[in-house]
Amino acid sequence: MTTPGEFAEFLPAYLAEVDELLASAQRDLLAVEEAVRRGAAQPRAVRELFRALHTIKGLSAMVDVEPIVSVAHWMEASLRVADQAGGRLPESSVEPLVEGLRAIEQRVRQLGAGKPPSPAPANLLERLEALGPQVLEAAPREPRAVVLDAQAAFASKLAPSEREQLEGGLAGGQRAVRLDFVPSSERAAKGLNINTVRERVAKHGDIVKVLPLSGAAAGGASLAFALLLLTHSEDAALLEAVGGAPATVRSLAVAAPLAPPAAGPSAPPPAAGPSPALLPAMPGALGVPGPEDDLDEPEVRRGGGLLRVEVSRLDEAMEWLAALVVNRSRLTRAVTALTAAGAPTRELAAILQENGRQLRDLRSAILRLRMVRVGDVLERLPLLVRGLRRTTGKAVRLELDVGDAELDKAVADRLMPALVHLVRNAVDHALELPDERLAAGKPPEGLVRLGCHARSSGQLEITLRDDGRGVDAKAVAQAANAPVPESVDGLLDLLCRPGLSTRQEATSTSGRGMGMDIVRRIVVEQLGGELRMETRKGAGTTFTLRVPLTVTLVDAIVFECAGLKYAVAVGTVEELIDVDALKVVRPAGADGLGLLERRGAAVPLVSLERLLERTAPGDAQGARGTKALIVRQRGEPVAFAVDRLLGQQEIVLRPLEDPLVRVAGVAGATDLGDGMPTLVLDLGALGAARVGRRMGAARSGGWAS
Amino acid sequence: MPEVLVVDDSKVMREMVVACLRPYPDSRFTQASSGLEAIEQLSLKAYDLLVLDLNMPDIGGIEVVEFVRGQDQLRALPIIIVTTRGDEASRERALGAGASLFMTKPFTPDSLQGAARSLLEKASDEASRG
Repeated sequence: MTTPGEFAEFLPAYLAEVDELLASAQRDLLAVEEAVRRGAAQPRAVRELFRALHTIKGLSAMVDVEPIVSVAHWMEASLRVADQAGGRLPESSVEPLVEGLRAIEQRVRQLGAGKPPSPAPANLLERLEALGPQVLEAAPREPRAVVLDAQAAFASKLAPSEREQLEGGLAGGQRAVRLDFVPSSERAAKGLNINTVRERVAKHGDIVKVLPLSGAAAGGASLAFALLLLTHSEDAALLEAVGGAPATVRSLAVAAPLAPPAAGPSAPPPAAGPSPALLPAMPGALGVPGPEDDLDEPEVRRGGGLLRVEVSRLDEAMEWLAALVVNRSRLTRAVTALTAAGAPTRELAAILQENGRQLRDLRSAILRLRMVRVGDVLERLPLLVRGLRRTTGKAVRLELDVGDAELDKAVADRLMPALVHLVRNAVDHALELPDERLAAGKPPEGLVRLGCHARSSGQLEITLRDDGRGVDAKAVAQAANAPVPESVDGLLDLLCRPGLSTRQEATSTSGRGMGMDIVRRIVVEQLGGELRMETRKGAGTTFTLRVPLTVTLVDAIVFECAGLKYAVAVGTVEELIDVDALKVVRPAGADGLGLLERRGAAVPLVSLERLLERTAPGDAQGARGTKALIVRQRGEPVAFAVDRLLGQQEIVLRPLEDPLVRVAGVAGATDLGDGMPTLVLDLGALGAARVGRRMGAARSGGWAS
Repeated sequence: MPEVLVVDDSKVMREMVVACLRPYPDSRFTQASSGLEAIEQLSLKAYDLLVLDLNMPDIGGIEVVEFVRGQDQLRALPIIIVTTRGDEASRERALGAGASLFMTKPFTPDSLQGAARSLLEKASDEASRG
């Protein structure tokens, strides 16, 4: 056994990888459930699910997380049986598997929060253990067989689930082809290797199997890879995907299914069920989770070239970049001086110009690192809707049309709870029960459609549409104890009132948790976006959200001054100090400015209250605050007196872009979570703008104890 | 300077294996995320040790071992199979196909390193004896 801690340093990487595996496992399980309901097999998803659990188990054993090992072990065991039985699972197995994934996820969260993982629930383990025999019972007696003419090499190597996959594809009108790719150093140098070829080929169909060949089988090459593919694509397109000759394409003549399989001489099927990872051939939806209906063709390969990086490291890179930019302006000044002195600086100036471009490119490259695909962000919604289907008893279809838009991770993290709430609301409140829908002349299955696309304005527009009953303005008005609003905007305002609920009872799904007021706060106040609504009685409701693609996150010190809250970026504050009013010296002629001692040097003390003109100019109280923030101003420390420090927190900085509102010394506004806009101050600039001259006077007054 | 090829579809697992073997003097590591990629790598460059996971997409570790042992120039390549508890049934098949050693997760850095050391030293002894 491993001694605990042997691989402790790998824990963060372990958690990140398990997180990714869980996400793909959840998607695969949804696909399996879809197939189960249709009574179909889902060989690829089962195989992928099996492999994900197998990997989770192995990794968890290495880092010594026994509860996850146990859960993953029993899930894996039943999935192995299902894989060998051609990818069929009984309906009764889905729920325990969902719970198993959830149990693993909970423990991953605990570990991520630095807590020990809870033991595996005994009752869940028992149910998972009992799955194996159930799966076996549900397996078809005679595995179906596909015969590939003159392709004994393939036929003998195919696992039952792969045969099933081939059979399904052929029945669905795809053709089976064999593509041969010959690797070489030259091709590898051009980026053409088996991994990239595989990815390119996967865009043309479903790869059932890949076999390495050598000697005569490789057609004279020392090594060739034969890809068995189900596809609708033309030969020419396939050949192009594998980099042209010496690659070859040949169609495989496929005979009608026969039993028993024309296996090679007593070749055993591979025990562990080799598992191709596949990309779906969904037109227009490559690489993004498609509408739920398409989930039986899931994108199962993911995270291949992905790297998880802590956001703080990106911020660090940004800081270094800022230092570079500062250095560059010094360089520019130096060159200007040289030019003025008559030096030949033409080349230097050209280099400097190029350098400026490179810095801008570097900046946008670093910013891009923070972007995540909207499709990846939304991948949990299908699972959410699945849960809602069960708890509400409503038939509902979720359509996602997310394209390939990208979004700042910081925006995505904040936006997700709002979207989850809107989807819950749509299913729980807006959609009618199947009977009701039929009576209203609608299809029994409700539709929730989430679409989004990036707009040229640097915003992401998200629409969430349901075909439910629409918002009942009268009921909302009654619940809010207000007159029936005349406009839909007025109705939205009512809906967004804190604490409003048109339900008498909290439902188990929407609960009384987050209301529309929180949705609006996230979208409008926190992210600086817009929230709109359209609704038609009996026809449905559409919410339109517009949020910026990116936001600026700042670690801020929050303080109170003259009864108002303000924030200031931590990075700009050199020190927080207590102010002892008795030790503040107020030299004559300094207009109320004080001086305090800090490590033997005099530091001007400025009253922020006066600076912000929160007190009448006649009030000669000067700096009364008991705390002060020390900020550098043109290299000199200046203390800003404030009333009270309220703490430190990460804020979303919303720059004040309207030139009419822009004020020197105000970096922007933020929402601290209380729904009130709070100004984010730039104390250095604020002081410089207002008190530069007076301060000089104070300083010349000297320090006198 | 031993060239080691580490094959696993889990990146964390590959890094753990590399961390275990890193103390072995002057070793150089190449990572492959699939059995196919491993076979391609082996065709492009000479390696002194192959550390191989069993359960991978497309073709599993056993198929890789079978293929490797079918190649004249790779017949003597030391192969360590690293796999997960529950795969013990594959042990006989892996060793039968020509794997040199079979290790089950979780393993300790020392045990993997010891296994690699003995295989590499044995191979270099045989090479020096001609």
